Amino acid sequence: MSAAAITARRFTPPVVGFGSAIFVLAAVEFLIRIGLINRFIVPLPSEVAASFGRVIVEEDILHRFLQTAWECSAAGVLLAVFGVVIGAVMHRLPLFRRACETWVAAFASAPLVLAYPLFLVLFGRSALTIIMLAFLSGLPPVILKTLEGLGATRRVLINVGRSLKLTQAQQFRKILFPSALPTIFVGIRLGLIFALINVVGVEFLINFGGLGQLINDLAERYDLPGVYAAITFVILVSVLFFVTTERAERWLRSVG
Amino acid sequence: MAQKMANVSTSDHVVAAHQAVPAILVADGLVMRFATAEGEITAIDDVSFDVAPGEFLAVIGPSGCGKSTLFNIIGGLLGGYRGRVAVGGETISGPHASIGMVFQEESTFPWRNVVDNVAFPLEIAGVPRRERLERARRFVSMVGLDGFEKRYPSELSGGMRQRVSMARTLASEPKILLMDEPFAALDEQTRLLLGDKVLQIQQELKQTTLLITHNITEAVQLADRILVMSYRPGRVKRIVDINLPRPRTSEIVSSEAFGRYVAQIWGDLREEASRGMVDDEARALHAHDHKHEQKA
Amino acid sequence: MAEIGRMTQARRAPRWLSGVVLLRAAIVLVVLLIWQGLAVSGWFYRDVMPALPKIWDALVKLLSGVNFYWNLGVTVEEVVIGLAIGGLLGVVAGLVVGSNAFIAKAYEPYLYYLGPTPKIIFFPVMIMWFGVDSGSKIAMGAVSCFFPIALCVAAGMHQIDSVLIKVGMSFRANPWQMATKIYLPAMRHPVINGLRLGLGVALIGTLLAETKLSNRGIGFLVIQAYNNFDMPRLYAVLVTLFVLAIGVNALVARFSGLDAIKQK
Repeated sequence: MSAAAITARRFTPPVVGFGSAIFVLAAVEFLIRIGLINRFIVPLPSEVAASFGRVIVEEDILHRFLQTAWECSAAGVLLAVFGVVIGAVMHRLPLFRRACETWVAAFASAPLVLAYPLFLVLFGRSALTIIMLAFLSGLPPVILKTLEGLGATRRVLINVGRSLKLTQAQQFRKILFPSALPTIFVGIRLGLIFALINVVGVEFLINFGGLGQLINDLAERYDLPGVYAAITFVILVSVLFFVTTERAERWLRSVG
Repeated sequence: MAQKMANVSTSDHVVAAHQAVPAILVADGLVMRFATAEGEITAIDDVSFDVAPGEFLAVIGPSGCGKSTLFNIIGGLLGGYRGRVAVGGETISGPHASIGMVFQEESTFPWRNVVDNVAFPLEIAGVPRRERLERARRFVSMVGLDGFEKRYPSELSGGMRQRVSMARTLASEPKILLMDEPFAALDEQTRLLLGDKVLQIQQELKQTTLLITHNITEAVQLADRILVMSYRPGRVKRIVDINLPRPRTSEIVSSEAFGRYVAQIWGDLREEASRGMVDDEARALHAHDHKHEQKA
Repeated sequence: MAEIGRMTQARRAPRWLSGVVLLRAAIVLVVLLIWQGLAVSGWFYRDVMPALPKIWDALVKLLSGVNFYWNLGVTVEEVVIGLAIGGLLGVVAGLVVGSNAFIAKAYEPYLYYLGPTPKIIFFPVMIMWFGVDSGSKIAMGAVSCFFPIALCVAAGMHQIDSVLIKVGMSFRANPWQMATKIYLPAMRHPVINGLRLGLGVALIGTLLAETKLSNRGIGFLVIQAYNNFDMPRLYAVLVTLFVLAIGVNALVARFSGLDAIKQK
């Protein structure tokens, strides 16, 4: 197959996908202009695009973005540290693990974010509420993946450690933990994703913080094109975050 | 004893040179090329043969001779080839109602029990429930799985599952049964016994069968004629008439004539098989060098 | 084979079970004691951490009133309809996207990358499109569960044993027959898992929408208790909600697990 054909085969699908999106937007624009779609419910895509500039400048997007990023990072650090530590402790104490692992799994499926009014009472309408909710939501996957990673250490590697008479601490530091690192990172990535979703979500719900609050503000001001623009911006940030962590994970896998 | 088959013409009423009955399946000048990372390869080149009604034709060849390509072409699952395949005079263009396929891999539906698996083609054809279950049970019995109708494939052994697949295809009552190494995953003893079963069924139903295999013993045990294929590009190397008595059982494997046929075919195959091995090794070496080039 | 495994497990279970049960009971007891201690210590403002008896009273009061069950019904109805809509659209989208390599490469990235975004931010748009009543809550639930279900179904399509598809084609099944008799049954595990995930996120999406703007449903009860600073009631509603959510999830898991034991 020629080089041109191979390039075409690789790039045609994404181009088609992107083209379809543009086509849909154009169709929506057309339908609104001829009146088939109510323009007070769905703003013109062109208006939304135009309001991007306005929203970025007037609403101080950079500052809001940094606010969200800082909240997310704080939650991320907390869930990574606590998650790995708790997971390691559970691995070390099998009875404790047997008792609590299903609880952690159940906790993962619990709609924790619904308790945000409670957190409002406990921590006030502040960044702390947001960080705590994001931290606790993202904690279970890290614990579970840490347990999984440590538990999946190949028998032969453990035996190597035992034959060299390593202490428990050395065994953990030099064999178990490095071997479990890829899986642990998968868990941290999952936790980070949950954290971001919760950070933006709670910002929206309690009307405080960075990007989530922006959407809330614009909605309460009935700035419809602005709302759509802000939502699009948040989606772009989220996608970027997802892609970056995915690349990082892949890189870690190839190196480790 | 073995004779090369004269190339047949492309007229609709092809008469097999060694029989006075019109052939039920005709393959004429089949050529298939694939584009791969290493360039274009020709899987099969100018393959022509025919199958008479009620005949059991085995196609044997080394790995890489294009057997699976041939299987998929005749079964109508693969297009883009040159040449033509005709069933009862009609050129095929996709899976044909008169051709039933039995695949090499596990192909029973794990979520259906045995009788529902076997009744599947009848269900597709719209046969009402009671009738299709009744007809399916006949074929379940024919492959020797009486009493297992309500069991699920996960409860059966590999050989039993292949029998279910076979019964399923037989239930569609195809004029031609097309099988691609159906017993490849089974051990030798099971193969011989299942071979007996296949012989029984074929004789009872007078089923025209085309079997693709790499196993010489199996081919000689079951077939009326054997088509030996060369290594890539796959061509018809030789066609061997198997004049062993019918009806046959697996006891035939101990006869002298059997041994002679096997030796003869191995003689043809060995040459092709070693060409295949040399080719494989060359390719592995090339891929290794290529990888090292990229790293450097 | 499965019976032997279960038998061995049954023989071992009682020995460990008692240790685990004791530890769990101990943990729960310790947590409750700490809670009660903090509650009566006066360190926290008024009712921020109410004493356990107060929470218990509120719980009893909540569950013995018709009001709770009526609101529960509202939420359940919204979640079920949202899951049905999002689930149906998700299954169809997954089938279409997974059916063809080209379509998959062109459109699956959208599902994959739009999936992990906070859907609650769409709520203002849902309100505009579907009004302030149940419509917008159902829409939130549907949007939330669409993505994980579509992705699970598409992934399931990729994982189907190709020989099963060839069997269908060799018997000349039409597209409807292929979809209903081969694709969907072959994917029953991914589809069920997708629906489980979808149930979880549909629940969260619907409830969050109820807390933000509603006058009915469990979410409304939560925010109402908050607005009245009725802390014991807030805790009671939350506890009930969590028990229900975890319970439903466990039930669904048990149900789909049973299926897995029977076949393959």
